[in-house]
Amino acid sequence: MSFITSYCSISVDSCFVNGKLFLSDKNNAEKDLLKSLFKNLQIDYPKFYKMDALCKAAFVGTELMRKQLTSINYYRDDDIALIFSNKNSSADTDIKFHNSYTSEALPSPALFVYTLPNILMGEIAIRNQWYGENLFFIAPDFNADFFENYIRIMLEKNSKACLCGWVDVLENNVDAFLFFVEQSDSSKLNLPLTSKILANLYKEKNN
Amino acid sequence: MKIFIGAENAISPLGNTAEKNFRSLVDGVSGIRLFNGVGFNKEDVYLSKTDFVVENKFQTLIKNCLDHVQSKIDKQIFLSEKTILIFSTTKGDIDKHLVDAIGISANAIQKEYKLYHHPLTVSNACTSGVQAVNLAADLINANLYDNAIIVGCDVISNFVLYGFQSLFAISDEPCAPFDAKRKGLTLGEACAALVISKNKPVFHDHPVEYVSGSSANDANHISGPSKTGEGLFRSVKKTLASGKIDVREIDFISAHGTATIYNDEMESIAFDRLTMDQIPLNSFKGYLGHTLGAAGVLETVMCMQTLKNNLLIKNLGFDTAGTSKEVNVVKENKNSEVNVILKTASGFGGANASLLIRRI
Amino acid sequence: MESLKEDLKKQIINQLNLEDVKPSDINDDAPLFGDGLGLDSIDALELIVLLEKYHGIKITDPEKGKHIFVSINSMADYIVNSKK
Repeated sequence: MSFITSYCSISVDSCFVNGKLFLSDKNNAEKDLLKSLFKNLQIDYPKFYKMDALCKAAFVGTELMRKQLTSINYYRDDDIALIFSNKNSSADTDIKFHNSYTSEALPSPALFVYTLPNILMGEIAIRNQWYGENLFFIAPDFNADFFENYIRIMLEKNSKACLCGWVDVLENNVDAFLFFVEQSDSSKLNLPLTSKILANLYKEKNN
Repeated sequence: MKIFIGAENAISPLGNTAEKNFRSLVDGVSGIRLFNGVGFNKEDVYLSKTDFVVENKFQTLIKNCLDHVQSKIDKQIFLSEKTILIFSTTKGDIDKHLVDAIGISANAIQKEYKLYHHPLTVSNACTSGVQAVNLAADLINANLYDNAIIVGCDVISNFVLYGFQSLFAISDEPCAPFDAKRKGLTLGEACAALVISKNKPVFHDHPVEYVSGSSANDANHISGPSKTGEGLFRSVKKTLASGKIDVREIDFISAHGTATIYNDEMESIAFDRLTMDQIPLNSFKGYLGHTLGAAGVLETVMCMQTLKNNLLIKNLGFDTAGTSKEVNVVKENKNSEVNVILKTASGFGGANASLLIRRI
Repeated sequence: MESLKEDLKKQIINQLNLEDVKPSDINDDAPLFGDGLGLDSIDALELIVLLEKYHGIKITDPEKGKHIFVSINSMADYIVNSKK
């Protein structure tokens, strides 16, 4: 049995951590909310500003969960598997990159390096110095069944915990749901990892 | 549980079957040639590009590839509830669909083959193909499925070409993996597929065995590899441990070998740390270019052909050792008993993955 | 020359998405890479784009960037000399 010990939902105008409202920003566009969340974290990490919106969403979600998790520092540097998914891949940045060589006349290398969705796992790995398993997959929607199965597989193989997420960003839409899974309930949230519970937590943010 | 891997196929400029592709490699034929005026500044660029001129090249490549795979296995497999199709691609048909290219393609595959389950798509930069194979084996080992069809496809696009040009990563000569004069990568396009199953009778011909695989992040830079090859080192170590294979049992390494200064250097350091510097090694990219999301599948298919033919293929483009740690580059085709092969891949986002296959 | 340097600073801030950095924060002779602005290898490639986009200068060998992009001064000198 494994447990969801922290979770974070980010949409274009609000952010919830472990089910509680963390920040609400009804008047601003998505990029400003991510920036507000980052500033709120008060960490010294100027690399954040180079990231695209997809990476920023995954990054702040991870940092917000980290603050809740005391256990996370006790894992070895390759114990934590990163498992992420979305529908639109890196389309938000793909559009901008495409624009850079069409309307703007010169392809931008800084945009091109973000035209792959798994880069968000790279940013998380760099920030935390994690050398564990990584998988990014594309799916039409949040597939709780797959996550439950694959997390179990990873925990039975070499990983001791999993940082997971459905992080989808496209133009003005942000749909991010990240969660951390451990083999004991360090959080006392009492959320066993089941597909049903995951699906409910994902839907929770829409209320 | 033994996991079988077979029914492989590949479509590239070198042929429409795995066997034809391998025969071209044996004959030293490269799929790379010069295309006039296709670069961002209208410069000529070396590419490995198929001759296909059809309305929907991307989807046609996949269909042609999978139709052939279908003929090599039990008829019921594609339709079975116990079968999952895993698709590997970095961008899908990106020049055609800037948004949802991958979803469109996955839907088309499901519809075409009346698959029971929606395909799973791995999109993990250039390790996608190897990771798709590993994912398939993991799911079968967990008894979630009995069979998996893995298909990898990426095509030459302005999007990707201009992007790599902006990074100055494209070589102005055919790529030369591990060579002292290497100048960067040559992009390629291909579609490759194979089948993984827990049941040997599924295959009409003799499959080989999938032993183990893993991935690991470099935690270093989003587009440059670790200077110590840390991620690749850790992935290979895990793959060997979970497969209970000793370094000395490996007969051949199919490296990632993109022919950029940094990648090949990183791999040489990782293989040296793994005490694999003497194991015969090549990169298939000298013949096929870098096929991105197809690469891991395509090159695994070439590894399967290597096993079946007991023939090590020379590293095309190599002349003089060009990495700080020497690796044992195959310089001429060599008949050799090959039992165990290690396939590695690395990619943007600090991605690294590896897998082992073995003759049965 | 002074207005070129001022323009360069604005272009760099814009091109590289440098948050919370004003032109007055960048000294003419301060190293752009390493400490200070903390630019990296991808930024160096964006500076090559900047040279072409704003100043019509095409760099074909990114290695040259190491000497050109040392500081605002070296960039300005390069631009002025290229136009001669």
